[in-house]
Amino acid sequence: MRLRGRGGIALGVGIAVMAVLPLVVKNAFAVDICIRILLFAFIGTAWNLLGGYAKQLSLGHAAFFGLGAYTSTLLQIDFGISPWIGMAAGGVVGMLASLPIGWLCFRLRGPYFAIATIATAQVLMLIFLKFRDFAWGAEGTTIPNLGNAPLMMQFDGKAPYYYIVLCLLALALAITAWVERSRIGYYLVAIGEDEDAAEAIGIDVPRVKRNIYMISSFLTALAGTFYTQYIYFIDPQTAFNFSVSIEAALVSIVGGIGTLWGPLIGTILLETTSALLQSWLGNSIGGVQLTVYSLILMAVILWKPTGIMGYVSELTRRRRGKAAGS
Amino acid sequence: MAQAVVNGLLIGGVYALVSIGVTLIFGVVKIVNFAQGEFVMIGMYISFFLFTQFGMDPVVSLLVSMPVLFVIGVLVQHFLIRRVLGLNDLPQIFLTFALSLLILNLALMLFTANYRTVHTSYSDEVLHLGGLIVPVAKLIAFVVAMLLSGGLWVFLHTTDLGKAMRAASQNRDVAQLMGINPNRVFAVALGIALALAGAAGSLLMPFYPAYPLVGQVFVLMAFVAVVLGTLGNVIGALIASLLMGIAESLGIQFIGADSGLIVVFLLLLTTLAVRPSGLAGGRRR
Amino acid sequence: MADALVVRNLNKRFGGLRAVQDVEFTVRENETLALIGPNGAGKTTAFNLIMGFHRPDSGSVSAFGREMVGLRPHDVCAHGLARTFQVAKPFGGMTVLDNVMTGAFLRERGPKAAREKAREAIDFVGLSSRESTAARDLTTIDQRRLEMARALATQPRLLLLDEVMAGLNPAEVDQAVALVGKLSSRGLTIVIVEHLMRAIMAVAKHIVVLDHGQKIAEGSPKEIVENPEVIRAYLGSGYAQSAGAAT
Repeated sequence: MRLRGRGGIALGVGIAVMAVLPLVVKNAFAVDICIRILLFAFIGTAWNLLGGYAKQLSLGHAAFFGLGAYTSTLLQIDFGISPWIGMAAGGVVGMLASLPIGWLCFRLRGPYFAIATIATAQVLMLIFLKFRDFAWGAEGTTIPNLGNAPLMMQFDGKAPYYYIVLCLLALALAITAWVERSRIGYYLVAIGEDEDAAEAIGIDVPRVKRNIYMISSFLTALAGTFYTQYIYFIDPQTAFNFSVSIEAALVSIVGGIGTLWGPLIGTILLETTSALLQSWLGNSIGGVQLTVYSLILMAVILWKPTGIMGYVSELTRRRRGKAAGS
Repeated sequence: MAQAVVNGLLIGGVYALVSIGVTLIFGVVKIVNFAQGEFVMIGMYISFFLFTQFGMDPVVSLLVSMPVLFVIGVLVQHFLIRRVLGLNDLPQIFLTFALSLLILNLALMLFTANYRTVHTSYSDEVLHLGGLIVPVAKLIAFVVAMLLSGGLWVFLHTTDLGKAMRAASQNRDVAQLMGINPNRVFAVALGIALALAGAAGSLLMPFYPAYPLVGQVFVLMAFVAVVLGTLGNVIGALIASLLMGIAESLGIQFIGADSGLIVVFLLLLTTLAVRPSGLAGGRRR
Repeated sequence: MADALVVRNLNKRFGGLRAVQDVEFTVRENETLALIGPNGAGKTTAFNLIMGFHRPDSGSVSAFGREMVGLRPHDVCAHGLARTFQVAKPFGGMTVLDNVMTGAFLRERGPKAAREKAREAIDFVGLSSRESTAARDLTTIDQRRLEMARALATQPRLLLLDEVMAGLNPAEVDQAVALVGKLSSRGLTIVIVEHLMRAIMAVAKHIVVLDHGQKIAEGSPKEIVENPEVIRAYLGSGYAQSAGAAT
């Protein structure tokens, strides 16, 4: 998506706002919401590379989130290694894990691919729940609070965390923007449209899928490390939670699958809705958030499967069409 | 070990009802119903409330839960599924997925996460057959499940509508050319599949608790059985379900109490790894 | 003239159906071969086997001296073979230009070079005015043109055209025939599956006839038209006898 004129200005304003936000907004709760928005926009953007462009609808990205989280935590608690390094290591672990998982799951199409990805994330959760010898089992562990320790990715106040996740999001968006314009971007969309036709014009479909899966899983794993450092806690239920997988896909679909800004827009919509719900109803009634999410998802699927960005594109096309007098 | 096999077989009958529903929908409508487990859950809650309000035995409440779920199935087909037919994967996957999330979380909101149980006169009774302990409630569930499966088989093979469904399952274009109304056939398929799910729910109540997440366990079993038994194949789903019940039971017996789930998952992943060519979802010609 | 494509002893069964049985033919470089036969004769299956979408049970497919059996379709394409599909498979959500660029990326690394090559191919098939149209919004004949442009963008040496003229009106058929002629004059080797006799006659000097998976005749157009086996396959034995009596 090229942004010219009004779009470019909006983008500039948006970036400026995001850059100074924590310096201006002092309400910790609000900053926390923004951090969550940026985090899930990051995870959604990572998912979108595989699920949005190439239409490989994974519902198991929590697997990489969890692997990233556990890698950095294990390195930190068992070996005292800084989570900065742990984050990179977690990314690599996630990336490597995507190879066997991809080998297994890519042999399937459509819903069966989705089911297989769900199963792999669940298996990982079950493994980490069961084996307490190497990773604390079901209780998980807390990260020892070192106060303000930037080298160990711990900070007083929320602003540093905000900037870290902002950088992660910027990284994912930059990668997506680059992919969109390059050969691999065209190949991804081709695969998403018609794998056989893609093969017939020389696209090594399995290889392209493998490569994008590696990028997607690497980024998702980074998110796992960040989140663990942010909440100072890890356990299998949190790290491999199905809702991470769901939200990654959901924000992309609602915001506009296969578009650069879709996941961010989708996250802003869904997370603010969720925050509003939380402030009105509190946490007392379980299931409200997901009920609302599922209704939004159904509405999008039934009426505008291309999501918010898809709708915006439609409007611009129509307006351009009218202007050109076609 | 024979005891474990019997236990597994009995619960396998209930799994069969759920998985036959999934495979029927997949075969006829070509959609994977991610929400099948939630309909089992609805069946369970219907029976629960009929029992607590009116003292109706859960097995008897089949007469209520099945028709109610049949109607729900027809409505789901008419208002939801019909809109996404012929579209690509994304709407088809995420629609039933969203439906599953919706029903599950509505149940969470309305009924809370508490376990609801039903205690009938026979909930604790067992029969002793040849040294084996056979719980009466599970035996009833198994027998009724088999009867319903048999009834379905008869329906599919002797009635016009049933044959139309099989035709649509095998070759939709030809079936349409022969004058079979796809929407009607799909509605009946959805209705039957959900009715079977509801039946499974009712049959489970005497010995299984109802809670919002209960569907997730059963739908997982169903998917594995459907995949093992070949997509769209009703008898395959039946046999695979029985085998899976036995496998799960043996797993619990010999590996450990909480190993059931992991055995199932590994079975799923192994099947997908080893036999993807048997599945419509997997190809490499 | 070297051999562009050598097919030997090609066999493929699907369950009980022998789709392709002992099929053999050779296509010289820059030749245009027509593959004809009644519906269900195995023509598209033969294409699928040549391109690697199915693996033959036995036999060999050699293109420009390299064995193709066992290669994945994208490797076959990289070796210089391209195909169109009987039912066009455009990348619906992409524009015409993007569709063809995706093909061009096989040989061109950067987007700019790919775009240039794509525009050449689009121009060749006459779709330039539709460059920014979404592929799914094209008419059927334009989708066929798109298929061809996309295949051409991969810079093939051999092009497999699967019923590109089906459903076209006579004027459109003439355009298609002219296009095929242009391709041939560019040096391309072409194997074309077609039903339209006059189109075949116009483009091909060498014809192979399949029926029920087997090759029943091969030769020049004149030889094929007079061949009793061919007549029998298309029209039934009654006509074949009378044709045999006439010769």
